Amino acid sequence: MSVNNPIFGTIPRQSAVGMENEWVKMFDPPKADPPTPDVLVPTNPVPEVMAAAGMQTAPPIAHTLERQLMHGMTQRTWDNATDLVFFVFRDPTNPTASGGVYPAPTTRIPRGAIFHGHTQGSGPPPHTIHWHGIEPTPINDGVGHCSMEIGDYTYQWQPNFIGTYFYHCHRNTVQHFNFGLYGLLPIMPPDAYFATQKNPAIPIGACRDGKFRTAANLGIIRGPTGGEVPIDPGAGSGFEGAIIANPYPGFIGGLLTDPDPLREFATNPHAMTVPYDAEAIWVLGDRDSAWSALADDARATFPAFGPHPGIDDDFARKPGRDGFFAFNQFNPDYWFITGVPVPAHRGGTGRLPNQAVIPAELNSGISGTQVPIDARIGQTILIRCLNGAYDVIEVTFPVDVTIIAWDGRSLGVPPFGFNHPYFVPAGTPIHMSVARRFDCLIRSDSEVHGVATVKFLSARHGGRLGTAPVAVTAEIPVNIGPAATGTYSVSGSAFSSRTGEALPGVSIVLNSNAGSQTAVTDASGNYSFSGLVNGRYTVIPNLAGFRFSPRQREVTMAGANQSGQFFRGRAM
Amino acid sequence: MHRGQGTVETEIDRSWLSRRDFLKYSMGGLAVIVVGSRLGWLAKSHAYAAVQTHTIELQIGDAIKQMVTHNSIHNAECYFWVYKCVQPAVTPPVEVPGPTIFATQGDTVNIKVTNLLDEPHSFFIPGVVDSGPIPPVQNAPDNVWSKSFIIPGTVSGALLYYDNLNEPVNRIMGLHGAFVVMPDFTAAPPGGVGNKWTPYHNPTSNVQSLFNAFGDPDVWPGLAWGEGGDNPAPHPPTPPFRTYIWLDHQASPNLFAEVGNFPAGEDYPAAQFVDLFLNSRDLTNGISFKGAQYFTVNGQSGHFSHNNPHITPMLKVGEPCVVHILNAGLWMHSMHLHANHFYVTSINGAVQTNPLWIDVFNIHPMDRVDYVIPYMRPPDVPNARGIGRPDTVLQSPGNALIPGSVPHPIWPPSEELDFSIPSKIGVVIPGVTGLTALNAAGQPIDLGVQLSPLCYPMHDHSEPSQTAQGGNYNLGLIAGMNITGDRNLPGGVTEFPNDPDHVPPNTIQACAESEESRS
Repeated sequence: MSVNNPIFGTIPRQSAVGMENEWVKMFDPPKADPPTPDVLVPTNPVPEVMAAAGMQTAPPIAHTLERQLMHGMTQRTWDNATDLVFFVFRDPTNPTASGGVYPAPTTRIPRGAIFHGHTQGSGPPPHTIHWHGIEPTPINDGVGHCSMEIGDYTYQWQPNFIGTYFYHCHRNTVQHFNFGLYGLLPIMPPDAYFATQKNPAIPIGACRDGKFRTAANLGIIRGPTGGEVPIDPGAGSGFEGAIIANPYPGFIGGLLTDPDPLREFATNPHAMTVPYDAEAIWVLGDRDSAWSALADDARATFPAFGPHPGIDDDFARKPGRDGFFAFNQFNPDYWFITGVPVPAHRGGTGRLPNQAVIPAELNSGISGTQVPIDARIGQTILIRCLNGAYDVIEVTFPVDVTIIAWDGRSLGVPPFGFNHPYFVPAGTPIHMSVARRFDCLIRSDSEVHGVATVKFLSARHGGRLGTAPVAVTAEIPVNIGPAATGTYSVSGSAFSSRTGEALPGVSIVLNSNAGSQTAVTDASGNYSFSGLVNGRYTVIPNLAGFRFSPRQREVTMAGANQSGQFFRGRAM
Repeated sequence: MHRGQGTVETEIDRSWLSRRDFLKYSMGGLAVIVVGSRLGWLAKSHAYAAVQTHTIELQIGDAIKQMVTHNSIHNAECYFWVYKCVQPAVTPPVEVPGPTIFATQGDTVNIKVTNLLDEPHSFFIPGVVDSGPIPPVQNAPDNVWSKSFIIPGTVSGALLYYDNLNEPVNRIMGLHGAFVVMPDFTAAPPGGVGNKWTPYHNPTSNVQSLFNAFGDPDVWPGLAWGEGGDNPAPHPPTPPFRTYIWLDHQASPNLFAEVGNFPAGEDYPAAQFVDLFLNSRDLTNGISFKGAQYFTVNGQSGHFSHNNPHITPMLKVGEPCVVHILNAGLWMHSMHLHANHFYVTSINGAVQTNPLWIDVFNIHPMDRVDYVIPYMRPPDVPNARGIGRPDTVLQSPGNALIPGSVPHPIWPPSEELDFSIPSKIGVVIPGVTGLTALNAAGQPIDLGVQLSPLCYPMHDHSEPSQTAQGGNYNLGLIAGMNITGDRNLPGGVTEFPNDPDHVPPNTIQACAESEESRS
């Protein structure tokens, strides 16, 4: 045998003749600014809700998100050793995001809304936005070689599944993704945001019953198969063990096709959803400072078609230096959890601070979303975890968790749920490669003061724990403290004084010296306020077109729950 | 896949061919061997030009392969060791990977392998057959191994055949290929009446239920996986058992040449090979860089895999398919599919009890993973209820910025299917320009590409794997899924426009208006 004279000769490169157009478009996609074909009138309420809350200016185009890319940004590393260059999205309507942030603002949209994203690209060659996991037509999918790069374009789609997605630039992804052009994209229940528009007392992002909800089928949760069967929570199988009683209160089953009891939506917006009390977002990122240093030559990785496509295309724009091969071999040396630096060098372990809260302005208006978990006994905690790192990761929780969804598809929801949620015991690593994401729930009856460990493993070493070196270990504090002591609840219902039928959708305001809060009666006409300390409260019902008797109730809390606080409503 | 309208004649007369057929005839296929007589459906498949036999004869030798970016001004060649198929005659006869072999459980395979290289090599399928070391060419005529073996009934799905000597060097050097074992589709599906075919002899209840839902009008209307269907003339029928292979590999020209130049009869040290392949760091991309530089699916990268109907499914809504993924290399890939979430139904031979419905999954070295694609209408195309069902689509009021736009239903996306980006020369689409270039004879080529059929990628999200001579994800490890029509439209089975003579009506109107405005 001989490298210079091989036995079987030369295997020629395939021909591009007759397909020069597709050949060129593949590696040198055109920039274009077309109008949106098959256009609809957008209905996404989020920009308007954000504007009403003073978190952004009035949207320049109604019901339309604005994203500009890209914008350069440098950030000093945690060890003060260097500056990392980030490529980021700008939102010109949002003062907090107008200079760009890493990761990009979390963008939430209610399921079923018509989404329009007006996107403008500038700077080093064109961009796109790919809404990862959202599945629209190609021109709205943000892949340059399947449509075009921008330019100026308004993406259009309608999210059909509640869950966790992300958005990122799909051009030259070695830079434009890894350098920070990505953000989380949770799809919320259909009545989120619309509920706040209808009743400003409903917290932004909560449903019309005042609760934050996400999709899940908690009808059947299974634990690990017993015996010697290895379990891989990242793959889902190996969980055919005992059925676990659902520990998460408030789960609503039914079918997605069930009618809406309030007749506001095409179907019941709360079918197959579970409420949560606390939410954490873990967007895992990694950076190679050697790559960052190449950022000034951002065009180096862009091949160009030649005068005779397929024959003389220019695949080495800078042959004297790096050519477009500048980004050989990724060796990360800085790591992030949702933008919070992991304070550790390669091979080390770094712990995040105990508390970090995502500003509402960067979270589609939702307050209180955490990075490290700081919650209470008995609360339902939702964690959305995205591997935005090129490394493979292993996440290990200090508490039992229930995996309810992968990649925006909740497990076990008919008619597509040929699977089921599963219970992952504390200490079991969950393994996943880049771009994968899971949603899980935690609820603990006892105090937890520990850390979730996130091990970053090199993808090019196969990414398997035990064979791939652990690049770094991040520790994310998980603290579940005692429930607030000495708290009680007020509950009751609203019903028609004529027919006795339940009155759902009645806004119930609870006033006290400590302030005001609002609940909404559910499909059975019931409402409840919990976590109340002893004292005097006023409860006031309100529903447009109805008069209630009594008009309000005075409740004195003295060491016991106050139930049966009902109201009769009569149409005016 | 986009339709393109070249303005020059090529060596193939395209005038009667649809875009898809042109690709089928012009793009390199996979060399496919079918063992036995019970896989007749393969002969009907667009994806395979299969040759039927019981007897396979391979030679182990070496070759130089021109990679995706090889052209007149840029050298991109790589040395490989290859399994060449000499019996039966297949096209192409020499490729990396070796020929794809389809077989049925219980079939007999007669195989003969001749080693033409100067160190021992082997032919190995885990759990099926193992040649052991086949002596080198210096030992001729003893450099031949023959075997007749029966495919066990305990294996189904895709396996890798490869050279397991000096592991993993000989495999990574190119000595590997796909060996796909099917249940006996001439019998009845296992599991009793009412069950439909799956690719497995031992489906779990969830995987069986999944396949039973294909073709169920209440879940996924259209065809079951094992079911073919007629199409409007002149389109050929859709074959049953739609099956694709995505065999991943990575290649390092500098390291592979070093192995090829190693003294005859000596094995290149495996540990050194792995270390150089994985850890070489040379940002100047000099000859000292021994890491992987090309990332391939079925031996092809970029355009040659993404636009290849032998690799990328080109099917209609309602035509579910199975993709067997094999990773012959040493890197992990995170393979993300656009347009449809897929079910992972089997991992390393274990049919899944709890198959996830996801859009990206980790494929480790030597992993065997099956993606099952429902081929549903992309679910986030706006529709009546917005709950992921094949609901009535919404009605566009029309876009005043698009010439000729009138109110219309948004699926099929008729205005998008009419767009060309770049635009075709002479066609007016606001905000879209045209591009031209020259062919080898110096004649002009229109680089306009129509957005029809609907084109979506499958690509590796571990993009660092694709930054070397593959250049970017779209010159690296990439396949995709194209939607060429819809079986479930009220008007019946519909093919999206993709013939070269199709001129979108809206753009004709636009041309006319623009001519008028100029005069």
